[in-house]
Amino acid sequence: MKLIMKEWKLCMHPTGYLMPLLAVLVLVPGYPYGVCCFYVGLAIFFICLTAREDHDAGYTLMLPVSRRDAVRGRILFCAALEAANLMLMGMFILIRNVIGSLPNPAGLDAGVALIGDGMIIFALFNRVFFPVYYKDILKPGKAFACAAAAVFLWIVLEIVATHTVPFFRDILDRPDPMYMKEKLLFTLAGLALFLAGTARGVRLSAERFEAADLSL
Amino acid sequence: MATERNSPLEVRGLNKEYPAFTLRDVSFSLTPGSITGFIGRNGAGKTTSINSILSFVHPDGGEISFFGLPWKEHEREIKERIGFVSAGMTYHTRKKLKAITAVTRSFYPAWDGKAYDKYMTAFGLDGEKTPAELSNGMKIKYALALALSHGAELLILDEPTSGLDPVSREELVEIFLRLKDEGRTVFFSTHITSDLEKCADRILFLQRGCLKADDTLDGFRDAWRIVECAGEIPQALMSSARGASRTRDGYTVLVRREDADSFENREASLEEILIHLEKEADRT
Repeated sequence: MKLIMKEWKLCMHPTGYLMPLLAVLVLVPGYPYGVCCFYVGLAIFFICLTAREDHDAGYTLMLPVSRRDAVRGRILFCAALEAANLMLMGMFILIRNVIGSLPNPAGLDAGVALIGDGMIIFALFNRVFFPVYYKDILKPGKAFACAAAAVFLWIVLEIVATHTVPFFRDILDRPDPMYMKEKLLFTLAGLALFLAGTARGVRLSAERFEAADLSL
Repeated sequence: MATERNSPLEVRGLNKEYPAFTLRDVSFSLTPGSITGFIGRNGAGKTTSINSILSFVHPDGGEISFFGLPWKEHEREIKERIGFVSAGMTYHTRKKLKAITAVTRSFYPAWDGKAYDKYMTAFGLDGEKTPAELSNGMKIKYALALALSHGAELLILDEPTSGLDPVSREELVEIFLRLKDEGRTVFFSTHITSDLEKCADRILFLQRGCLKADDTLDGFRDAWRIVECAGEIPQALMSSARGASRTRDGYTVLVRREDADSFENREASLEEILIHLEKEADRT
């Protein structure tokens, strides 16, 4: 908890406040809503970039914490931003459904399944970004390029799937509350993937950070 | 079982190999309540040694213990008892000092708020300022205030006086002496040897990754003499002369005390010893 507070008080970048709010974009008709999650990944990149410029690793590693603790603190803090983004997204989906939802040609509609889709995006991001980042914390750009490639590939596949794959096209991409059971199962699967991807990201990142020679 | 009489820092056979540099078999042990100067020219391996000691980099070999405790099993406890200050590293430069302090103190159960206020006042620091607004000397003092407020018994400082003006360096040296009076151990690397002449009890001399000397300040200085030669270096001196250094009137050479009696000689300063030994190393 102390490390999460440290991340918030010392490492937070203004985009960390702004980007989760872009969940509001689910109110925009005809928009690839998965991109709302990508923006949070951009904020995480800026947080890591700022941490590098501020020599945060040198500061953190002289506190009475281990490298593993430091990794866990940063990733949990970022996961909290992702969770905030998804909660806001849920809120705006409700609003969207109240004011009336039109079919979205650019991927999933603004519905429950979109939350599951967001979790899959964050699972991918956390699984790819952090292990690459913690291999060399001086190169967050490389980690972001890898994670962005993975996330955009998924977003493209998801958009294509809403036009071609029956499960996506005929069930997930239908207006709520149609097929709610299937959508909730998809969202639960997304949650499981999010937890598994993030946990794996933490483990791999900690191993790599512990093995790294740091030039601080 | 570790006791208070254990050395604050003991290093045995430290090795670290890089493609262009190797740290070889560095061993030393610090005496509690003393000031130890870690000297050597730029690139000698001082920062690599400190980074290895603090586990920023992983040594290829060697044993490191603090207060008799190995780092791996006691990292948290050790970190609560040491402080690290590096002139080249300034953290969170746009945050107010009070914000950095508020975060830092939450990690230390033994944080002493009164001591922190005392050091902030003594060092003339304002919590409303950011590190970016501080001079290099004040940044070092702030880092020291943080370390001292969590009760650090051992202070490891990497080039704390480099880049400082003579008055600021003098202030820091006086602070180190006060810390020693309080019973704290100070270990600091520097290539500004005049600072050590004023405060160090011991000298560790690192040259090209090897520890060439581990002695008291007086012992290290007394082992050498300077011979000033008007014009060329006499033939009789050639075999014992180390690192001829050109001067306006001729040369100075460094000679071991036992070889110096036949020549007119004088006391060598730390700086002169360092320069001549490095020149000798360059020559050979």
